[in-house]
Amino acid sequence: MKDRTNSGWLFVLPAAVVLGMVGLIPLITVVNYSFFEIFILDARFWIGTEWYADIIGSDRFWASFGRSALFSALILGVQIPLGIAIALCIPRNKLWVGITLVIVALPLLVPWNMIPSLWLSLLNPESGILGRVLPVVGWPSDWKLSIPHTWAVLVVMDVWHWTSLVVILCYSALTTIPPSYYQAAAIDGAGPWQVFRFIQLPQLYNVLLMAVLLRFMDSFMIYTEAFPINAGGPNGATMFLAVDLGEEIKAFNYGPSAARSVICFLIILIVAWSFSKAQGKLDERHPA
Amino acid sequence: MMRASRALGALKLIGLLTFMAFIILPLIQMTLISFIATLAHPDAEVGTLTLRNYRAIWSDPNLRAAFVNSIAYVLINICITVPVAIPAAYAFSRMSFVGDKHLFLAFIAFRITPPVVLTLPIFQLFSTLGIVNSVFGIALAHCLFNLPISIWILQGFISSIPREMDETAFLDGYSRPGFIWKILLPQIAPGIAVTAFFCFMFSWVEVVFARILTTTNGKPISMALSALFGFQTDIGLVMAVTAASMIPGAILLFAMRSHLSRGFKIGKV
Repeated sequence: MKDRTNSGWLFVLPAAVVLGMVGLIPLITVVNYSFFEIFILDARFWIGTEWYADIIGSDRFWASFGRSALFSALILGVQIPLGIAIALCIPRNKLWVGITLVIVALPLLVPWNMIPSLWLSLLNPESGILGRVLPVVGWPSDWKLSIPHTWAVLVVMDVWHWTSLVVILCYSALTTIPPSYYQAAAIDGAGPWQVFRFIQLPQLYNVLLMAVLLRFMDSFMIYTEAFPINAGGPNGATMFLAVDLGEEIKAFNYGPSAARSVICFLIILIVAWSFSKAQGKLDERHPA
Repeated sequence: MMRASRALGALKLIGLLTFMAFIILPLIQMTLISFIATLAHPDAEVGTLTLRNYRAIWSDPNLRAAFVNSIAYVLINICITVPVAIPAAYAFSRMSFVGDKHLFLAFIAFRITPPVVLTLPIFQLFSTLGIVNSVFGIALAHCLFNLPISIWILQGFISSIPREMDETAFLDGYSRPGFIWKILLPQIAPGIAVTAFFCFMFSWVEVVFARILTTTNGKPISMALSALFGFQTDIGLVMAVTAASMIPGAILLFAMRSHLSRGFKIGKV
């Protein structure tokens, strides 16, 4: 049992102060702005919930919301199974583990604004490795005009960028399984699928929850990497929630962008809350 | 049975190698371009093999400064994050206090808040405090996502240490802070290393805060890269800078490999 003592607050106070400063205060500012019409920051007047009504009633918001949801679904559907599979494939040999982990994690070390540049140069029809090979299998050189092709590039790019995180998290959880479990399974004559289903997967639940949370939120709010690929096009088909928000901020529309931010934050809160509920469920089933 | 398991082993190897080939492909492209002169220079024709892009990183004061800035803000960020996260992780792991679950939920929510949502007010707040255009501003802003994740990782490490150890220490007359400092810290040293590595990884490559907080000064590598794009972009130089920016992380990752593979358990409240 944990000690029941409110002196715990003293221990979390420094963290709460730092996060209050970089998180809570800016958030309150945003909430405040979202109720005003602001031309310059010194001259603003109260308009209540007008921005919210505008946004909730606008097709543009719901369209970008839908696109983000679809993108997240695709990303999770690919990255989580792929990440688990790759983590299971990593060899047990010590030296190779190190080399494999380093290579697999390399995409995580690329500055985010360079990720689209890397992929665009890879797809360059004249000089790119893929760009020169792909037309053979029918990839059009004007793929930027096609919605499915642009989406494919974005999904593959994100899979390239972030699957490694899932792999590292899963791999680290797999290494915590005591060898005796595997021995017991071998004695019982369990096949690879049963070993995965009853020994490896249960160990993964906790990190998978974390991986799903991080990957869901980061792909739902994809911003930096998505815009340069095709500037939200063709015809706004890759205008995601955060890209749209970013454009609004760049245009200095303080009020509407603040209202959008608050809506984003409400989505975040719902996600975080469901996450902690899910974690509670997991702990009931698998008490640590 | 033997044959089946050997086939499975081969399948695993093929799967892994395919995935690694996919991972490396864009990086090969990057490396290739980084060794080619992509703009006409007095000493190199367009398209020739050259080391001049890498030499340019060293000779360009802006690029050199960018590397120094990046290293500086990441180190500052780790120096803020880790000491603040350790007591918090300890509290979440060992104590139950009023509002602990709500606080943890708030921390998670801040971790998954995309920086773009908070760019404007953070810029205003930091301007008022006078820490824009400095590495300190970026370091502080990055606490938004690094601090929650650090607490999370450290809490897992602390929870894996048996509670009896605390109790014995208290009987021996240690206070809680004394216990954390003298007994717990050496025990969770690998956890601290893993935490610092994750802080590095998420902070080194971030661009949204880095962009709005450095308009004139203190530009990190990512912003120096953005500045290289223009009317005539020397894409070879861009790729060389990107490749060079990945080296510190790769070295750290290799050094950390045994800790990462020892497994860190993600805790709960």
